Amino acid sequence: MKNRGATILAIIGAALLILPLVVHDTFVLRVLTEGVMWIGLAIAFDVIAGYTGYLNFGHGAFFGIGAYTIGILMMQANLPFWAALPAGGVAAAVVALIAGIPTLRLKGAYFAIATWALSRAIQQLALNVEFTGGPDGMRLEAFLNPQFFYYLMLITVGATFAILWYLLERAPFGLKLKAIREDEEGAKALGLNPTKLKMQSFVLSALPTGILGGIYAYWITFIDPSSTLGDLVSDQAVVMVVFGGMGTLFGPALGAILIFAFKTIFWAYLSDFQLLYLIILGALIAISVIFIPNGLWGTMFKRKADATRPQHQPEPASEPAALSAVAAPEEGN
Amino acid sequence: MAEPILKVNSVTKCFGGLTAVDDVSFSVEKGEIVGLIGPNGAGKTTLFNVISGYYAPTKGSVVFQGNDISGKPPYHLAGVGIGRTFQVVKPFAGLTVLENVTIASFLKHPKKADAERHAWQVLEATGLADRANVSAAGLTLAGRKRLEISKALALEPSFLLLDEVVAGLNPTEADRTVELIMKLKAQGLTILIVEHIMRVIMNISDRLVVLNFGKKIAEGTPAEVSSDPHVVQAYFGEEAA
Repeated sequence: MKNRGATILAIIGAALLILPLVVHDTFVLRVLTEGVMWIGLAIAFDVIAGYTGYLNFGHGAFFGIGAYTIGILMMQANLPFWAALPAGGVAAAVVALIAGIPTLRLKGAYFAIATWALSRAIQQLALNVEFTGGPDGMRLEAFLNPQFFYYLMLITVGATFAILWYLLERAPFGLKLKAIREDEEGAKALGLNPTKLKMQSFVLSALPTGILGGIYAYWITFIDPSSTLGDLVSDQAVVMVVFGGMGTLFGPALGAILIFAFKTIFWAYLSDFQLLYLIILGALIAISVIFIPNGLWGTMFKRKADATRPQHQPEPASEPAALSAVAAPEEGN
Repeated sequence: MAEPILKVNSVTKCFGGLTAVDDVSFSVEKGEIVGLIGPNGAGKTTLFNVISGYYAPTKGSVVFQGNDISGKPPYHLAGVGIGRTFQVVKPFAGLTVLENVTIASFLKHPKKADAERHAWQVLEATGLADRANVSAAGLTLAGRKRLEISKALALEPSFLLLDEVVAGLNPTEADRTVELIMKLKAQGLTILIVEHIMRVIMNISDRLVVLNFGKKIAEGTPAEVSSDPHVVQAYFGEEAA
């Protein structure tokens, strides 16, 4: 299973690498570049939302901060792109660190509302200060090389995926985050410092998001508060991850591919009905939460795991049925 | 006599106007099992939470192995050797039993493979190994209580706080848990245990501390305590005493 997974991954990676040599259509390449970017945004979002259990409705703010940081550094400080790019990630990480201090004390919906409010505040800031260009946005020096951006996005997202996979699936860090998600008080008794872990998780989620925002800005060459700091970035990330499967890396990647493909097709043929797209997104998130709470990936794998598990596993010592009923699992929180 | 492993010095814990624990002092010697008993609402769990760092004492101090630990956070106390279980069990429901215990094993075994190996050993010792790959949500109450103990043990503590690990179990399960506790004592662990089931607490405790309305009303061997008029009065009322 593991070997097969690695083989499939290697084939997909190789296919993505040689794709631009085969595909010369710039529109297709552009769609692929953005698709890859969304995979990166979704997996980065899942670090705090899925693994740690803190649904961040302000993920778009980190993306926008990265984009604006690169824009400002390149256009106003005349820094080259390569010098400005890391600063985008660092800026997003620093904002996460500062914003995390008050917001990560909140739980559930309160955290979601606080992060949403924070992202709105940052959008307002970008609209009202001068060095961002306000509502007119900012135009970056154009560098028109679709292959360059495709590869840059692919390498960045590939590296992000590899690093996150190591930290979350291989190293103890991922399990520790899940412990925080499942029961913060219980985790404390096992020697885990929730404040520290949540901060690390938030920063780890923000850093690649800021870098992707920076690449996006240079690629698209025009950024404004509504495109990079608007709700849509956060909302799409939420839908991709919830639909794909929270608390995994492949789930959000799958969700990102499917949702982004849908979006591309929808906007190509039904661009007059953009509001309908948002309604569908909203419906999809509700449907996912109700019918596939583990997401597509989680549902597929849970089925498989159940099928391979021995059917009959007697309890070592039997217990009155009433007791097990009292101790029914509190699922879904 | 050697320095006691745990000293509770005049600990008082107030919640607003309510004094849940009132000027309680006692100590626990290395290697003994001390039972903490008292009627419902006597402040046993509150005292547990003070000792394990979940609450800072309003007054007084808790000294563990010669160091003042009052008000230190729980994750720090886990690091110095205090393991605890929760009366209301706290399994990581979305994770497997093995993962639950592995998380605790990380404290002393920072590498994942080592931690997993250690967690297996703990599960073998506590009799949960055959449930290792089951989701913790799928365990029965007995299994969850056992998981609580497994997690606390995976910290490799020198001092264990057990909060009602027997209550709610049927007699067979209860006996198995008592057996486990005695095995831990034989391995040199010091244990402070809260329990309502007198049959259990009287049998396993070397000494008992009795709380009522937040105050310590008696301390001594189980035989001494059960004949203490204050204790009889607290449990059975004025006339019985």
